Amino acid sequence: MTAKKWLGLFVAALAVTGVIWAGFNVITDSYGVFGDRFLDFYSYDMTRNPRVAKIAWLDEHHDDYDSYIIGCSGSSSIPTEPLNEAFDANFYNMIMYGADLLDVEQTARYLLDNYEVKNIVVSLYVDNAIEYNVGEDDINSRLHAKVSGKPLLPFYLKYLFLNPSYGIDKLKSYFSDTDMPQVFDVFDVETGAYDKRLRDVEPIQTLEEYVEQPEYAVFANYPTGQYGMTQIDNCVKSLTAIRDMCEEAGVNLVVVNNPCYVDYLRYYSADDLALFAQKIAEVTPFWDFSFSSVSYDPRYWYDKTHFRNSVGDMMAAVMTGDESLYVPEGFGHYVTPETAPDSSDYAQDLRAPEDSYTASVPVILYHHLDENGEGDVTIRTDNFRAQMQAIKDAGYQTVSPEDLYRYVYEGTPLPDNPILITFDDGYSSNYELAYPILRELDMKATIFVIGVSVGKDVYKDTDYAITPHFSWEQANEMIASGLITIQTHTYDFHQWPLYEAEQSTARENVLPLAGESEQSYIAALLPDLQRARQELEQATGKTCFALAYPEGQSTKLSWMVAAKAGLDMTFSTRPAVSTVIKGLPQSLLNMPRISVDDITAEELLATLADAGA
Amino acid sequence: MEKLIQILTECCPGIDFANETALIDDGLIESLDIVTIVSELMDAFGVDITVDDLTPENFNSAESMWDMIQRLK
Amino acid sequence: MSFTSVTYIVFLVALTVLYYVIPKRCQWMLLLAASYVFYCCGGVKTVVYLLFTTLTVYAAGLLLGRLNAQRRSLPDGADKARLQEAIKRRKKAVVAAACLLNFGMLYTLKYWDFTAQLLGRALNRSLPSLGLLMPLGVSFFVFQSIGYVIDVYRGKQEPQRNVAKFALFTSFFPQIIQGPISRYNQLAPQLYAERTLDYDKLRDGIQLILWGFFKKLLIAERAGVVANTVFDNAGQYPGSILAAGTLAYCIQLYCDFSGGIDITRGTAQMLGIEMTENFRRPLFARSLTDFWRRWHITLGGWMRDYVFYPLSLSKPFARLGRWSRGHIKGKAGKILATSLATFIVYLLIGIWHGSSLKYIFFGFYNGIIITVSLLMEARFVGWRSRLHMTDDSRGWNLVRIARTCVIVFIGRYITRAPRLLTGLGMLWRTVTDFQPSALVSGSLLGLGIGVMDYVIVICAVLVLVLVEYAQERGVHIRQWLAERPAGVQFIAALVPLLLLLFCTGGDYVPAQFIYAQF
Repeated sequence: MTAKKWLGLFVAALAVTGVIWAGFNVITDSYGVFGDRFLDFYSYDMTRNPRVAKIAWLDEHHDDYDSYIIGCSGSSSIPTEPLNEAFDANFYNMIMYGADLLDVEQTARYLLDNYEVKNIVVSLYVDNAIEYNVGEDDINSRLHAKVSGKPLLPFYLKYLFLNPSYGIDKLKSYFSDTDMPQVFDVFDVETGAYDKRLRDVEPIQTLEEYVEQPEYAVFANYPTGQYGMTQIDNCVKSLTAIRDMCEEAGVNLVVVNNPCYVDYLRYYSADDLALFAQKIAEVTPFWDFSFSSVSYDPRYWYDKTHFRNSVGDMMAAVMTGDESLYVPEGFGHYVTPETAPDSSDYAQDLRAPEDSYTASVPVILYHHLDENGEGDVTIRTDNFRAQMQAIKDAGYQTVSPEDLYRYVYEGTPLPDNPILITFDDGYSSNYELAYPILRELDMKATIFVIGVSVGKDVYKDTDYAITPHFSWEQANEMIASGLITIQTHTYDFHQWPLYEAEQSTARENVLPLAGESEQSYIAALLPDLQRARQELEQATGKTCFALAYPEGQSTKLSWMVAAKAGLDMTFSTRPAVSTVIKGLPQSLLNMPRISVDDITAEELLATLADAGA
Repeated sequence: MEKLIQILTECCPGIDFANETALIDDGLIESLDIVTIVSELMDAFGVDITVDDLTPENFNSAESMWDMIQRLK
Repeated sequence: MSFTSVTYIVFLVALTVLYYVIPKRCQWMLLLAASYVFYCCGGVKTVVYLLFTTLTVYAAGLLLGRLNAQRRSLPDGADKARLQEAIKRRKKAVVAAACLLNFGMLYTLKYWDFTAQLLGRALNRSLPSLGLLMPLGVSFFVFQSIGYVIDVYRGKQEPQRNVAKFALFTSFFPQIIQGPISRYNQLAPQLYAERTLDYDKLRDGIQLILWGFFKKLLIAERAGVVANTVFDNAGQYPGSILAAGTLAYCIQLYCDFSGGIDITRGTAQMLGIEMTENFRRPLFARSLTDFWRRWHITLGGWMRDYVFYPLSLSKPFARLGRWSRGHIKGKAGKILATSLATFIVYLLIGIWHGSSLKYIFFGFYNGIIITVSLLMEARFVGWRSRLHMTDDSRGWNLVRIARTCVIVFIGRYITRAPRLLTGLGMLWRTVTDFQPSALVSGSLLGLGIGVMDYVIVICAVLVLVLVEYAQERGVHIRQWLAERPAGVQFIAALVPLLLLLFCTGGDYVPAQFIYAQF
């Protein structure tokens, strides 16, 4: 073959390569710009570049939405659900990493021009006043050309001839994706917000423990800095443009200034902060959440600048006037030019509020009672009576799980020196021996029953005798007294391997079996918890919302499954006093419990005192 | 000429110096050998060979080396 | 502008088209312009160094040319010899000045900080480091230019009178980053020639560039990750992993450097220019001397012609040789002078690579092995004949190749390690604490690349070795391919392109040349 012919052939090979290249990028579509028709993996695309992928996704799905939240990453915690209810709308969260107000303006314009819009929530952050029109053209942070108004052809060409490594990465991620959010798919496509299913089930207890964890260590030693608010005028310009656009289109505009961690707020001068608030208020009244008791407690924060979803829930409650949810005092002001804070409001070094939004609650754990104290984890009946008497005499007041739940979600006060008494497994002795004593002393207690064992004195499906368990009738009798709460200890995840047909797959607790896949684990645990809940609610007519993990053990994955099954309160057996925090549902997760066996009443009181109760 | 072939064969045994005509170009003798050959030649024939004379043409065959020596004498 | 960037490909395509379209007498000017554009992409400020070398060497060339002419035109007469001698002295002065200026610049740029550090330690006070910007390929253009000066001095080369043309010789873009170090008489005439499009050369050039990409992007990039991980955390690995890391470095260095040279030569070929080969399958070298004739050939050649010959034929060396032949018996006496010169050359090669003790050690290492092997030659031949192997039997050659590989491999510990002592320590651990089990326990997967990358590297290296083996046996693969049916050739063009497209760079960042810093 002549060289000339070969060159022709080579050019043909180049062309074929180009077609394969483009084809591969259209199929994998790492940024979603071509509609991600083949993999439909938008949570990955949005993670790569939310600005581009969300627009691409909305182009297909904007009929399902009529309202939008626009802003930088903090906006993710502003929940769509309560806003949907209050505004009778369907919100989509357009959060973009590091969005400046020009991004917000351009995005708002695109939404108004192209979609049907009823409400726009613009979420501001102090950062907006320091950076404007960053104009990042990096592939992971550029705006969609449709939004920025740049020429479309070069924009699409860039994605058509993208380094195939991106597509390969997406394929790898696609095939290793699981039910859990991963580092490569952090977005919930349907709402547009971050997928915090895992993050929001991490237990939170005392402040000391919290900042000891590596990911929160930053709060113990918060970096210092100093920023000048040089971009206030540009913010005003963009915000005015958004306001006018909305007015013209008859769209309701809500502006929110996001919460800010106190040490971060100190990066800015009081004069700047006051000027920023004043200038915004002159454009449009807005909700200011930037500074409150939430700013002081790291536990309300995912990291040094991002507040938790539960804080977002409180913001929504303030904005929609929902009074059923706990909201800290002084959280959220509706700011108009007249009511704008002045620099002295920021200048005075507000001390953190009294520790009135947290409570220490010792939770103690019993199993079986016996007149003579025979058997494992068993307490003699008279000793149990002595312990109860001692607790009462020491001034402890027993509470129910519901009391704790109300404290956290609604802010309902707890009695002084609250204590939660719990029993695991649901033995008949709880009904026969403990219940009369509790009734006599008028003390509350909670019993976690194993669904499959209720009313049984033989191991399920066998003739093996076991310690007898009380029945649903007996349970209802106790509930009727108003003292006893029945909650779940799983339906059948507390098995005895020796009595099981297949020992190796016996479930002694909710930990996954050795080598078990995430999928099959969830497929086993979730229905179990749902069944436990359903049967309990049917039998007792009460809500089942609390779970004591068998053997006190659990994993991140089990936390997520429990939350999915609607069990918002869980217990471990870590021996410590529990801390409950208003407005922080995570403080009800994996709560520590002090296991008590046949010790004297004095020893019990000493143990509680040692634990810091 | 015979003396030359003898010296060359001593330096680099196994090469047919009488008939090879591309000693350098074919890489039969290398830089280290050349330096040895040059110093032997200078001693044996009492000539001064300098770097400028180190061209492949001068060393490609025994005959060309002979010519070079005659020229330098 | 990295050779493996899209920018370079666009630049090259545009240049090639333009080159064959414009009037032929302008072609060399286009090359000059393109070369400076290319050079400026690597930093505008450092152009001064290139210009400095270009101008000083150009001037030296002119002066030497004039002196050469004077010397030739001396009338026969009584004082001809004396006049010749005077002219020669002036010529020497010119060469000395050119060398001093350019090597001085090179020294200041590359070694001053190192010297200041050493001196400072010796004098117990800190000397200022200059922190100068390192110009792209400074060693290459300085060496190439000095070669030209010496050629003119020796009267082998007429000086170039057109300064622009000379500037093209020093700056020709494909070679400026990492060589090869070309000879003026070999390269320059080609640069100034007027050319019509030659499809054969265009094809050959494209194929060579693809082959270079294959080596650099598929192999060197990945092997480099392994080598970097191992050498950056040398303390935490057992001997076997250190050996694996060094092997990875050997592979990386060869593929990156020779791949870069392939791209260089391919680029030149597309423009109709043939450049000297810089590598000739060093894997198949049968001795360390042979290795240096196959590795970085142009540097070795430069050292031979401009250092080794002049040195070993200089009067002191000649005297030393005569003395040692008389006073030391046997082989040692014969080779003393040459060995000393060899030593000096390898020391210079060591220093050329960088300013650190480890490179000086590396020079000694090579010098010692080569001298020892000369002394031992007779014994080797004895062993060989006792093993009933002839000089070119396959078994003997394999032994020699393996021996050379081990020697080179050991040398790489020293040159890649951050410090001399670290390298020696790693070497020691490889011998004393090998722990072969670490190779299969999954540690290899903790070195920065995944299973797929290992598969790619291993397959690609196999292909490379097979191809080089075939070349070593004298098989012309491209010619063989050119005789296959069109379909086969199409696949042979498409597959590499797809491989390059899909197996390149997991980190999406173009590879940098390792050799560019030398």
